[in-house]
Amino acid sequence: MAADIRPKRPFRWHIAIFLAPAVLVYTAIMILPLAGTLQLSLFRNIDQHQVFVGLGNFRTLFGDPNWSVNFWNALRNNVWFFIIHMLVQNPIGVLLAALLSSPKLRFSAFYRTAIFVPTILSFVIVGFAWKLILSPLWGVAPHLLDFVGLKSLFTPWLGKEQYALTALSLVSVWQFIGIPMMLIYAALLSIPDEVIEAAECDGITGMSQFWKIKLPLILPSIGIISILTFVGNFNAFDLIYTAQGALAGPNYSTDILGTFLYRAFFGFQLQVGDPNMGATIATIMFLIILGGVCVYLFLIQTRLRRYQF
Amino acid sequence: MGSLKIENVKKAFGPVEVLKGIDLEVTDGEFVVFVGPSGCGKSTLLRVIAGLEDSTSGRVLIDGEDVSVTPPAKRGIAMVFQTYALYPHLTVKNNMGLGLKQAGTPAAEIDRRIGIASSMLSLEPYLERRPAELSGGQRQRVAIGRAVVREPKLFLFDEPLSNLDAALRVNTRLEIAQLHRRLKATMIYVTHDQVEAMTLADKIVVLNAGKIEQIGGPMELYNSPANEFVAGFIGSPKMNFIDGARLGETAKTIGVRPEHLTVDPKSGAWKGTVVHAEHLGADTNLYLDCEKAGLITVRIFGVYDAEPGATLYATPDPAKTYRFGADGKVLK
Repeated sequence: MAADIRPKRPFRWHIAIFLAPAVLVYTAIMILPLAGTLQLSLFRNIDQHQVFVGLGNFRTLFGDPNWSVNFWNALRNNVWFFIIHMLVQNPIGVLLAALLSSPKLRFSAFYRTAIFVPTILSFVIVGFAWKLILSPLWGVAPHLLDFVGLKSLFTPWLGKEQYALTALSLVSVWQFIGIPMMLIYAALLSIPDEVIEAAECDGITGMSQFWKIKLPLILPSIGIISILTFVGNFNAFDLIYTAQGALAGPNYSTDILGTFLYRAFFGFQLQVGDPNMGATIATIMFLIILGGVCVYLFLIQTRLRRYQF
Repeated sequence: MGSLKIENVKKAFGPVEVLKGIDLEVTDGEFVVFVGPSGCGKSTLLRVIAGLEDSTSGRVLIDGEDVSVTPPAKRGIAMVFQTYALYPHLTVKNNMGLGLKQAGTPAAEIDRRIGIASSMLSLEPYLERRPAELSGGQRQRVAIGRAVVREPKLFLFDEPLSNLDAALRVNTRLEIAQLHRRLKATMIYVTHDQVEAMTLADKIVVLNAGKIEQIGGPMELYNSPANEFVAGFIGSPKMNFIDGARLGETAKTIGVRPEHLTVDPKSGAWKGTVVHAEHLGADTNLYLDCEKAGLITVRIFGVYDAEPGATLYATPDPAKTYRFGADGKVLK
């Protein structure tokens, strides 16, 4: 009976009102386009009419050689793009952060800024600048290699099928290395001095201090940069487009899902744009990223411990 | 086995001189406490001994060997920090064993030492836990255990009890005292709490503004302080300092401890009014505003009924009254 006596709490309208702007904006620019894309991928344009075909577009994408060859090529290239980032960008970022956090290093603020600057540059500038640098005709790379007697190593990296993707991946690494560096640097600074001093007293110094004390404590940050790299890489488009164009040459060797999607959706040169197939590719990209993030959230992040000091 | 000698150690951070020439000798097995107010340089001195700071000049010798430029790990010391400084990603067992593992000690030996240390500190039920799953007192015991397993020549404690609550502080203090008795190791302990200093130390080093004011046993410092600073720092409540001129004395300042004053409602040396009374059960602290001596504290053992506003006469024990000169030094 006590529950009846208690006055009913009036509906708190202000909660809904305060939430409304964010919900509306997010719905308008995120949820509706996403739903629209998913819907578009289930239809096909037949005689100027949108006809529901179920998963037909996906069957075409995976099964029709006209699409599947390019799709698997783009996916493979994208995976390689991601592997290069994980193997080069993140370890070097951690290394740079470790060097920067060393109290003995002078001018560390200068290095930090210098390494971070490319991150805030536009893709167009980075892509174009590196195209010029690596150009066999007027680029500075051959001359610079000549200075150190290594000119024989030079090849037009962006023009050779076997090198172009790796070269562009490394350009992207160059551009974005500041992000893992900064995140890890912040994580390293958050380790209390006393813990490091205790390690010094325990005889755990130098490299073993890094491996046994610092690295385990920054693992959560490494997890974060891995997932950021994953999402960024599978959404990448701009650098390839500015450096190699929408055809992602030579001979599609730098084609990743972003450029593949672009050609499918908008069309390019002789290829006619097909919004339905474009949406199908976009859906697959969405599912790949969703899957990766879920693996991270449910399998990896739950096992990483965050430490409070 | 664990002697320490410090010769004219100075330390400056930029233009700020924190240690102004410290000389100290600690013999094997002694429990030495550095005590002093905040900023007196006691922690810096400990860090210089540990090798976490380099002294600007002077020498540090452990067992007769000059270790002034030796890294901390090679000095044979172990340090316990105020903030525990445990490795948060390792279990209690691995926290204690990591340093030994790094030094290449055989696994059986590591286990043996962890076994001894953990039974000594009653940490056995927690060996597989991580620091986050322990209480503050347990964490500090792990930090002490981590020092014990290294079997160092010198134990260094940097305010180890400051982060614990009052009840735990007393318990842990007792454990440290027992540990010292069992291990017979040389221990150097930094604190700003004179009670910890008095209860633990064989020898107390009182520091002030980067200099040693006095070195001596607890009772020595209590009974014959060398100067006004030590007299005021040791003992609680603090010694009363009275301007000598007001009492018609030749000394600049007269010092008398609250417990060396007696009160009487009818007659005595200094007539005063009770300002406030603190009843602690075992003691009663009276604050008296005296005509001659100013505001003084009187500590009476047991219960004493005195209401604020009452008139009381306080009389100092002449045998336990200290006279200080203009330079603050005690006059014999």
